[in-house]
Amino acid sequence: MKIVETKVVVLVIFVVLLALLGTYFTMIVPLMDESLYTPTKDARPYTKLELKGKQVYQREGCWYCHTQQVRNLLVETKRYGMGEEETFKRFGIRALVQAPPSQPGEYVYDKPHLLGTRRTGPDLARVGGKYDNSWHINHLRDPRSTSPGSIMPAYTWLFDKNGRPTEEAIALVAYLQKLGTNIKWREEGVALIKKMQGVPSPEETTTQTQEVGE
Amino acid sequence: MVQHEDTSARWFIYTSITFFLVTISIGFIMAIKFVYPEFLGGIASLSFGRIRPMHTNGVLFGWLLAANMGLAYYVVPRLCGTKLFSEKLGMATLAIWVIVILGAVVTFGMGITQAREYLELSMVLDILVTIAWVMFAVNIFATIAKRKHEQMYVSLWYIMGTLLWTALLWIVGNLPVYSGVNDANVNWWFGHNAVGLIFTPMGVALAYYFIPKSTKNPLYSHKLSLIGFWTIAFLYIWTGAHHIIFGPIPTWLQTVAILFSISLLIPVWTVIANFFGTLKGKWVQGNYVVKFLLSGTVFYLLTCLQGPMHSLRSVNQIISKTDWIVGHAHMAVFGGFSFFAIAGIYYALPNIVKRPIFSDRLAEWHFWLSFVGFLGFSISLWVGGFLQGLQWMDHTIAFLDTVRAMKPYYVVRLFSGILMLTGQFIFAYNIYKTVRAEAPEVKAAVA
Ligand code: HEC
Repeated sequence: MKIVETKVVVLVIFVVLLALLGTYFTMIVPLMDESLYTPTKDARPYTKLELKGKQVYQREGCWYCHTQQVRNLLVETKRYGMGEEETFKRFGIRALVQAPPSQPGEYVYDKPHLLGTRRTGPDLARVGGKYDNSWHINHLRDPRSTSPGSIMPAYTWLFDKNGRPTEEAIALVAYLQKLGTNIKWREEGVALIKKMQGVPSPEETTTQTQEVGE
Repeated sequence: MVQHEDTSARWFIYTSITFFLVTISIGFIMAIKFVYPEFLGGIASLSFGRIRPMHTNGVLFGWLLAANMGLAYYVVPRLCGTKLFSEKLGMATLAIWVIVILGAVVTFGMGITQAREYLELSMVLDILVTIAWVMFAVNIFATIAKRKHEQMYVSLWYIMGTLLWTALLWIVGNLPVYSGVNDANVNWWFGHNAVGLIFTPMGVALAYYFIPKSTKNPLYSHKLSLIGFWTIAFLYIWTGAHHIIFGPIPTWLQTVAILFSISLLIPVWTVIANFFGTLKGKWVQGNYVVKFLLSGTVFYLLTCLQGPMHSLRSVNQIISKTDWIVGHAHMAVFGGFSFFAIAGIYYALPNIVKRPIFSDRLAEWHFWLSFVGFLGFSISLWVGGFLQGLQWMDHTIAFLDTVRAMKPYYVVRLFSGILMLTGQFIFAYNIYKTVRAEAPEVKAAVA
């Protein structure tokens, strides 16, 4: 043991070897794991507009307040799915459509990744299709107009003097609408609901319809 | 006796304190925005998403790492019984460091970022950091190479370890080749080890030097320091994936990260036992240097008890992604390692400028404001974050309601922030006066 305290070279070699050991298993091995690079069935690359929106999202640091990962927890598949009120309003049936937990194959076109670590605001991994574009525009211009009590910043610089959205704002919304659509879970949920619409007295059938999509 | 010049040490210290004030003020602006979201609204370069990297990178690299480097320039020559290899090289390193930090503030304000947490700096700045780090490493290794005693003290192991780990993490973490979930995995391999293999070993190295010095007690156990060092060198690097538990990465990777996170209790325990053993008998009558070291040790212990606990799946599902984590991170970086660095500065600076600290009373104020302010800061976030995490466990509670529920905690955090901020301004003033004072002690010390 004495030698690591007296010979710098020995200490250096041991420190580096130990660091490489952990790095190999926790970083290099996953890098070689092909299943982490295989796109999901419905995954498609970003369009130019969406990519521009992603850049705005990165530039404005939206990802410090929003994660993009529905964790593999039952409660998160419910929270970020389609709620009963939403399905009732749209389809006249009370059903909870669970959002599938995030999968590696959905992220293959993300460089850099935007998984995030902090949820000052809600997770955005499944936000695509949740609201219409005008909701997003209003929300970005003045979050407290759509969500009283929100602490999200107002992105006034994404709008011109007359309050019209700039190209950047439009691109950003296009990007938001793309999020979570590399799995067609909303479409599948809607189809299931439509099938169920024949069921009598929809108010009473509080059913969980959708299987977690693969 | 070797005459130490300490030019690099002192200028690194002055610079780090300056950046400390700037970057915690930015943190304070963020705390205001959490209570008044319209505060400074409409100014793009001061919006939350742009000043957050200024705060984190600024505090980590502009303040803490710079202060640690300054103290390394002070500690290493003394432990080696020789002069620093090159003061000129040290000052050149500082020049690059200042350019990097100023560049960071400007580019982040403009929204130029790589959008990976703690790796946000753009490529040019990344390269400058690498160059500066190599210069720093050369200086330290060259000093150690001409040491007078063959046996190296534990602080030197940790400092050399940091030099290597930082280089590895920084270079590999910054390679522009990753994508998708692997990018996230690499990001957290870097992000977690930045704390564990840069700031931890640096802070521990300093504490290992300044605790025996300021208490005049001998080091409690050599054997414990050996165990602590080599277990950290082995275990830490495996834990990064515990940031993505339940996330879209392989389950085995999460489990490995959890197991290694728990086993980190071993190095932590050895280090803490060693610190407490050395501090023994000096708990009560200690001055502010000992107070900072002692409370820094306690906060370090608490952080390291929290960490493994957070990695457990049952705990993780509730507190992950909440403000609890923000409280936890600040306990490591502010309560633990910043306290060590502050203690080091209070101890080293009088020896460097050859006159005592301008005002002991102000230094006591600095301690108590930092201590109480920090407790308010983190406890409010722990309670608030935990409750918010519980609310998230019920999907029928609307997210917006859980945001609104945080308001009282954000208010407490803001007021605690005022205390922390005031404390650090007092610190800077005290140091300024110490350096500047044309007090009679100057002549006494010179004569
Ligand atoms: C300071 C933290 C913060 C930042 C930065 C931030 N947000 Fe938010 N965001 C929130 C909060 C809090 C909410 C929840 C309340 C609300 O709807 O406004 C939210 C809600 C949202 C929602 C609605 C999600 C849902 O499911 O209802 C979207 C979409 C959104 N944000 C997009 C963005 C975009 C795009 C950016 C960057 C341009 C951004 N946010 C930046 C805090 C933030």
